[in-house]
Amino acid sequence: MTPRRSRILPLLVIGLLAACARTPAASSPPSGAPASTSVASASPSSAFPLVLTDDAGREVAIEAEPDAIVSLAPSNTEIVCALDACDRLVGVTDFDDYPPEVADVDRVVTMAQVDVEAIVAAEPDLVLAAGNELTSTTIINQLTDLRLPVLVLYPESIAEVMADIELVAAAIGREDAATALVGAMEGRVEAVEAAVADLEQPRTFYEVSVFEGTIYTAGEGSFLASLIETAGGEPITGDALSTSIALEDLVAADPELILLGDATYDTSITPETVAERDGWGTMTAVADRRVVVVAEDVVITRPGPRIVDGLEALARAIHPDAVAE
Amino acid sequence: MRADVAERPIVRGPALTRAALVLGGGVVILSAALVVGIGLGSVAIAPDDVLRVLGHRLLGIGATSGVSDATETIVIDLRLPRVLGAMVVGAGLACAGTVFQAVLRNPMADPYIIGTAAGASLGATIGIVLPLLLPALAIGAGSAWLGLGLVQGLAFAGGVGTVLLVIGVARSGGRLPSVTLLLTGYAVSSLLAAGVALLMFASGRALAAIFAWLMGSLAAVGWIDLAIAAPVVLGVFLVVFARWRSLNLLLLGDGAAAHLGLDVGREKLRLTMLATLATSAVVAISGTIGFVGLVVPHLLRLAVGPDHRLLLPASSLLGAALLVVADLGARLAGGIPVGVVTAFVGAPFFLWLLRRSRRVTGMISS
Amino acid sequence: MTPVVEISGLEVSYQTDAPARRPVLRGLDLVIGAGELVALLGPNGSGKTTLLRAIAGSLRRDAGRVALFGRDLNEWSSVALARRVAVLPQSLVLPDGFRVAELVEMGRAPHATRWFGSSAEDAEAVQRALADAGALDLAERHADELSGGERQRVLVAMALAQGPELLLLDEPTLHLDIAHQASLLATVARLRARRGLTVIAVLHDLNLAAAHALRATVLDSGRVVADGDPESVLRLELIRRVFGVAVDEARTVDGRRFLVPHARPEIGTEPSAAGTRITR
Repeated sequence: MTPRRSRILPLLVIGLLAACARTPAASSPPSGAPASTSVASASPSSAFPLVLTDDAGREVAIEAEPDAIVSLAPSNTEIVCALDACDRLVGVTDFDDYPPEVADVDRVVTMAQVDVEAIVAAEPDLVLAAGNELTSTTIINQLTDLRLPVLVLYPESIAEVMADIELVAAAIGREDAATALVGAMEGRVEAVEAAVADLEQPRTFYEVSVFEGTIYTAGEGSFLASLIETAGGEPITGDALSTSIALEDLVAADPELILLGDATYDTSITPETVAERDGWGTMTAVADRRVVVVAEDVVITRPGPRIVDGLEALARAIHPDAVAE
Repeated sequence: MRADVAERPIVRGPALTRAALVLGGGVVILSAALVVGIGLGSVAIAPDDVLRVLGHRLLGIGATSGVSDATETIVIDLRLPRVLGAMVVGAGLACAGTVFQAVLRNPMADPYIIGTAAGASLGATIGIVLPLLLPALAIGAGSAWLGLGLVQGLAFAGGVGTVLLVIGVARSGGRLPSVTLLLTGYAVSSLLAAGVALLMFASGRALAAIFAWLMGSLAAVGWIDLAIAAPVVLGVFLVVFARWRSLNLLLLGDGAAAHLGLDVGREKLRLTMLATLATSAVVAISGTIGFVGLVVPHLLRLAVGPDHRLLLPASSLLGAALLVVADLGARLAGGIPVGVVTAFVGAPFFLWLLRRSRRVTGMISS
Repeated sequence: MTPVVEISGLEVSYQTDAPARRPVLRGLDLVIGAGELVALLGPNGSGKTTLLRAIAGSLRRDAGRVALFGRDLNEWSSVALARRVAVLPQSLVLPDGFRVAELVEMGRAPHATRWFGSSAEDAEAVQRALADAGALDLAERHADELSGGERQRVLVAMALAQGPELLLLDEPTLHLDIAHQASLLATVARLRARRGLTVIAVLHDLNLAAAHALRATVLDSGRVVADGDPESVLRLELIRRVFGVAVDEARTVDGRRFLVPHARPEIGTEPSAAGTRITR
């Protein structure tokens, strides 16, 4: 062993240790499982300061009621506006399109590139990020290192969306609005569930996109899959991580109903063009002409307050006779 | 018979003035780049506000009463570490590139060529994907913290480990033949790149993060990253610079260098590992930024000649300046990957310089 | 006086694809004294280049002893060796971008005392080397602009800059035209006298060797088969036996001897003492 080598090992170790030893700027490590959201509040009128646990299991301290909010995902923006706090938004993404008032708010995320300088310049006291790398971990760390309170939201079911609405409400002091909103949502969900209760569940394939021969759909165990189930369908799912499904597997699964989510954005995708695709003709759904254009993909896939609109749209598409407009 | 010519061939007289000019010029360029880099960004900040903040926080002079907290945060916590990071990464890549081009006697050599990029990429990709596959890895503290540290640590380990592997395979009987090293590096890199591709395919949501890392970006460079990478780059530069003679001798060829007393096998190993250390350290904090390590040494060789006494510091200075400017361009263009900017800026300039100059590179002549 | 080179029982073999190693030098003995000008001759594969490399210390020996200046090669550090032994390579390749003066300065590497920059002693050695090699006028030129002959002079200067006592030349005339061939060897001979060098040159051209060398050592199949002054060593019978070609000898007007292969040299196998060999 040359002298060089024996010097490398300690350097390697130091490098590794130093890189791993990042001191968190937020407070102590949280307790509880990552998926749970526990809202800690001092009193029903949610006095500040308070500490909340977000969807990533992080404990976030909020000193006072925030009046400058940055949202890093359209779903988060919709939650804030649904809680009647739209005027507090100081930064949103360029994908945010609802409600219309949002058009006047400064964009701090362009083409999925987060402009940290712009966020800092907006002087927010709350940042709502998206989990599962929709907002990259790097950005979340950077913002936290700058001592900005960052709440990471990542709901994977309607119930979790409602919990997130309550979480955000606690964070911005709008609990009453949340209670009303969540109550209404629950009512509509129950109505859908009742409507489809005893109906036969068709094997349903939701086409998210087809790109260069790869078919993207609802991943196994995903939010979209659970939505389809709640809407009274039996979802055909793809790989949990890549959300793709091989054509062979799709043909083997033989969907009875195909929902064209991508038709929302691309009018060239129609039941006719789908029927013409190689290998798709053998599917029951194509043979029975049960290929449906979906125009509500945005609300179906955006985990915000309008998710119930999405659920209803799905239920109408799967059971058009049972679910009223 | 003693002519006036070639009295003191290298360091005295006109050569020294030229060296001073080049290095002085490099420092000036770098300083200008730093000033511009800190002064400009996606958020417009008045120049005297910038100066006031810098003066107050770094030198303790003046006050920042008129300047908002946000401005101070942007300058000190966002721009300053990022710009300094660009400096460190640019210098590290250029220095490592210079060394590899000498050790491998190959004008196409860049810092990544014997496997550093592939290894670091694989390490980083594993670091990004692992917490998603094993939520248990996100112990209590939340995947945020462990996640990022994991990526950097694994990238560094991947880079260094891969080169150790390549050297181990390429080495025979105490010698490290350049061609074998190159080819082994290529083969191992291909293998690891396939691994990265596989992970990318299976990565789902993390694909964007992996891709961003591979393109290379200085967006996430903070003070801790600097604290780790800067000493490594500086240390490697100093040690390599002290060995300028070995680098020059290696250009004569392994045989000739050995006959001049150089322990060629050992020296190549030493230099390779040093350059790899620097490369891995900067790749760990910025991802794989291409082009700087390949072209900057060439540019400088055309400008100042192949003598490493001058080439090494000049390359490092220009590499630093280039990356600072490129990062600024990337920031102003909406956050595009900095590697794109380095290619757009450097390649045409290099071609122009190449056409102008009669002398090509500094490598083996015909 | 201690001989400059002392070799006894030297065995060197090369690793090939075949399981057994291919022997090149089989128990070779040789002694070379100070100030000698030796030509190492022999057919392809006889081991003359290998022998030179063994003397230069670039090869691993299987068996036997090589001593330079009275000390076993194993005890020499490469730097110490480089201070006293210089090798003139076969190839004329030089790295681009350097001025000739800078290249010759690299020859001072084994002697370098100052870390940065050159000492007065170095500068003087470079000057002398350039002068002795007849390359003073090339000092400020760039390596890539030089012709073959000019490069040869530069390489000689680089070797001389090392201040060697032993100069090893590995087929130095391979890439030179007739004029430069003669000029190089004449220079080497002159330098031997002026600087007190010992010179060992691997040559393929028998006539050049005869013209310039003071001693010819002929190798065949890894052993020395003839050794002495060129006139007496290069006899027709030996040449036919060792090189496998029939030659005629002739004399120039002023009495210099040269060898010419037969009008139609046989191309094919020729029996010889060492076994079957294919002639050139």
